[in-house]
Amino acid sequence: MRLPPRDGERIDRSRTLTFRYGAQEIDAFAGDTLGSALFASGRRVFSRSFKYHRPRGLLCCTGHCPNCLMTVDGVPNVRVCVEPARAGAVVRAQNVVGSLERDLMAVTDKIGGPFTPVGFYYRTMIRPRRAWPLYERLLRHAAGLGRVGGRPRRFDTEHRRARVLVVGGGRAGRAAALAAAAEGPGVVIVDEGDRLSAADLPGVEVLAPARAIGVYEGGLVPVDADRLLLRFRAERIVVATGALEQPLVFPGNDLVGVMLPSAARRLVEDWALAPGRRAVVIGCDGPGLDIAPILEDAGVEVARRFDLRERPVRALAAEGRKGRLVRLTVDGEAIDADLAIVSGGRQPAYSLLAQAGARVELDPSLGIFVPRELPPGIEAVGAVTGEVGAGATPAPAYAGPKPGGKRFVCLCEDATVKDLSRAVREGFDSLELAKRYTTVTMGPCQGKLCQLASNRLYAQLTGTDSAAIGSTTARPPWTPVELGLLAGRHHEPTKRTSIHFRHEEAGAELLWAGQWKRPHSYGDAAAEVRAVHDDLGVIDVSTLGKILIEGPDAATFLERLYPNRFADLKVGRIRYGVLTSDGGRILDDGTVARIGESLFYVTTTSTGSESVCEWFEWWNAIWVYDVEIVNVTGGLAAVNLAGPRSREVLGRLAGTDVSNEAISYLDARELTVAGVPCLVLRIGFVGELGYELHFASPAGEHVWDSLVGEGARPFGLEPQRVLRLEKQHIIVGQDTDSESTLLSAGMGWLPKLDKEEFVGKWAIELGRERLRERLVGFTASVGELPKEGAQVVVDGRPAGRVTSARRSERAGLIVGLAWVEPDRAQEGAPFAIRSDGATIAAQVALAPFYDPQGERLRS
Amino acid sequence: MSALDFLSAERCSSGVRLVSPLARVLKGDGAVRDNSNIGKVELRGELAVFEPGPDEELARITPRRGLLLTRGSPALACTRARAAGLRAYDVTGALAALELDGEQLLARLTDLDPTSLPAAGAVARGVPAVVQRLAGEKFRLLVPQELGHYVAGVALDAAEGLRE
Repeated sequence: MRLPPRDGERIDRSRTLTFRYGAQEIDAFAGDTLGSALFASGRRVFSRSFKYHRPRGLLCCTGHCPNCLMTVDGVPNVRVCVEPARAGAVVRAQNVVGSLERDLMAVTDKIGGPFTPVGFYYRTMIRPRRAWPLYERLLRHAAGLGRVGGRPRRFDTEHRRARVLVVGGGRAGRAAALAAAAEGPGVVIVDEGDRLSAADLPGVEVLAPARAIGVYEGGLVPVDADRLLLRFRAERIVVATGALEQPLVFPGNDLVGVMLPSAARRLVEDWALAPGRRAVVIGCDGPGLDIAPILEDAGVEVARRFDLRERPVRALAAEGRKGRLVRLTVDGEAIDADLAIVSGGRQPAYSLLAQAGARVELDPSLGIFVPRELPPGIEAVGAVTGEVGAGATPAPAYAGPKPGGKRFVCLCEDATVKDLSRAVREGFDSLELAKRYTTVTMGPCQGKLCQLASNRLYAQLTGTDSAAIGSTTARPPWTPVELGLLAGRHHEPTKRTSIHFRHEEAGAELLWAGQWKRPHSYGDAAAEVRAVHDDLGVIDVSTLGKILIEGPDAATFLERLYPNRFADLKVGRIRYGVLTSDGGRILDDGTVARIGESLFYVTTTSTGSESVCEWFEWWNAIWVYDVEIVNVTGGLAAVNLAGPRSREVLGRLAGTDVSNEAISYLDARELTVAGVPCLVLRIGFVGELGYELHFASPAGEHVWDSLVGEGARPFGLEPQRVLRLEKQHIIVGQDTDSESTLLSAGMGWLPKLDKEEFVGKWAIELGRERLRERLVGFTASVGELPKEGAQVVVDGRPAGRVTSARRSERAGLIVGLAWVEPDRAQEGAPFAIRSDGATIAAQVALAPFYDPQGERLRS
Repeated sequence: MSALDFLSAERCSSGVRLVSPLARVLKGDGAVRDNSNIGKVELRGELAVFEPGPDEELARITPRRGLLLTRGSPALACTRARAAGLRAYDVTGALAALELDGEQLLARLTDLDPTSLPAAGAVARGVPAVVQRLAGEKFRLLVPQELGHYVAGVALDAAEGLRE
């Protein structure tokens, strides 16, 4: 039932709409919120509380409290008190088993007390231990509020800049925006309500309704503008978030009919609704008490008005029937009422300022927390500064005439005075610790309505004062935000080689290798291995890092970076290189080709290109050699052509002599292959005669097609693993870890300790006497395949781990690499591998399992 | 000394089909277009000694490092830059180039300040990029070619979001 039309009401009675609430059709006016229309239809219970499932009604009508959370069009936890009514909306109650009026879970409130004290899941659900899976299932089912579901919605993100960003569209915020606009453009004002009009704020961009979620470093303010996250960078941020009315703590303070003045004011003035029939008003300050004439004007009988500034109240309790207020007892005086307008004063909404770095401290004269020492670029105006007027400080919690009755400090989390008292008794006497234990201030309101009350109560319980207790850390998000908005669009950076789509077209099974998508195989890994051994295979190795080192000091630079020698490398020749840290640990490996007197071409592992480049640049920042370090990884595609027929095919496509005499093992040559200029590296990548071709990326598909056209069978990473393992080629990062050294990895031949200096030299010298484990090859009979990471066991005790293992059709064995104790690194030394409950007999094999003399790749 | 011909797609024979990294994601003349075929040369050294030609524009990344964009031959640009005492590398194939319309679309891809372009920064969740304003509300993004398909997909999706 609406009140007669009134000046300033927000509803347009000439425009009506309907929406659904459960099976009911609800009528609303334009300008209604879903909550006001439901209230007008007679609904008073809007939600059930988080833990005890107590009925809850409208409390604040500002979108701050948890009392009106409902599911709207499948979106859970919508604050219907501020959500505009729209035609056709489907509104449902949430967090109930049954209905809002008859919620079966309300049994928790009646008999669950002994089982659900604060931190109950640490204490009452622990015996018998075997029942925990059942408890957990029950708890998980019961916990939470709304359920995620409904139609997926699109959320976007946009980066914005502002000279001045004003958060809060009240009187002070509007004045600040207009003053800033007078100084120039670039002023934006953000307000969570829908009353701001751009016409009233010339020169100001108005974003409303929209909510600032937090303030981050660098003046970043994310703003929730419905399904768009605006990431503002502002030169100046003006916070005008006002002050928040605080509830009082007393028995029955959560009954339906107990409201803050703001709720009653909005119901009457905005939506022409009488909030009740008979009211009691209890307030600490002017704004809290000024509600009385507004109520009377709306036809509500104000039975009693208590001004705590004039006379403190000592005892206060509310009684209800079926969760609704029926009586209030104040200092022994029982007053029948269905409406209690209570206010514990106003607390500045300082969270955004605190997040920005402001200090927050108690103003003893006001009994509230106020922001101080604002960081540069941050300003505060209006009530948020602490200008809320004088008022009385209420008691931390009131008791009623008789014991009992839950007194809620935190409505979001259903935390009571009893819970907080218990936490203090158990030793959680710091507010931050107690917050984590009781979860007070951690609910949807994020402390807006419970921070001050919990502070006052802790001060009382611990016998200190509010200033000493302090406030909890303010963290984003300040206002509730949908996770979808924070997540944004689902895009995952993916690197693709220039040949990627040929792999897709060939039906390759793709896998993630770092950020790259690479072929695991093309359907038959074993056949791909056979093709390389017996005929011709080709693999896309464009992912390898590729770095040019150019300059008169290039050779000296590399000589000093790598443990082995490069100064004597002849032009046109290649050498394998392993980079070590200054602690002697293996960082990366690859090849180094000298393609000019002062020009080298370095390859790295697929994941190492950027880190190796940075490593080079870091050292050269110290050494200052005349070299350029140019990462050309993306600019070049690369393929490895391998197998007995590789020479024949390369020769045909290059139209030149590629015999062993023309291009011998570890030679680098520039040839035009299938019309494409290539750097050809003859290396033993997969243990067969082979050539690695590096060429401009845009020609990737052309070269690939040309090679496949010559009968080369594409092979993926899985056959590559088998082929490399047969040759005992290590994979840095797979077979090595951050502790592996050249000596422990069996590459003691590589470092040239007679060099005057190189990165990691001292550590390698020192490590010779401190070898704790060795990487060795091993074989096992074909049977159970050891898992990577499986334990090496000697005499029943752990003695190492497997890093790689594959079945080698060619060797007729399982072949792999494992870390073992140094004294076990002898040909044929036996050990056991425990993998998935099986024990596998293995033997150390120090030589490659296939072509141990390297005759095939040098042929 | 290698002339580094293998870096240059331009040196390929005429029968070689060169494929843009954006070929499979950008087609036609929408709000996001493929501009990858523009020549790109990385310059190292004292950039002050180099004067870009009429068909060239130089984006100075640092005082000693620049990206030269050319509508002409990148190989010739390399030769000219080397003659001027710089070190020059044809990186045409290394960078994908997207052209897009609209400041709001750009704002959905990067937090770079559109009034302070060209600039180097990140687009589409951390992809390194050089962003230029071509004219009015027309922008060019240069990103690593291996991430070009991904960035173009994100840009198209953002453009679709603006249409909704």
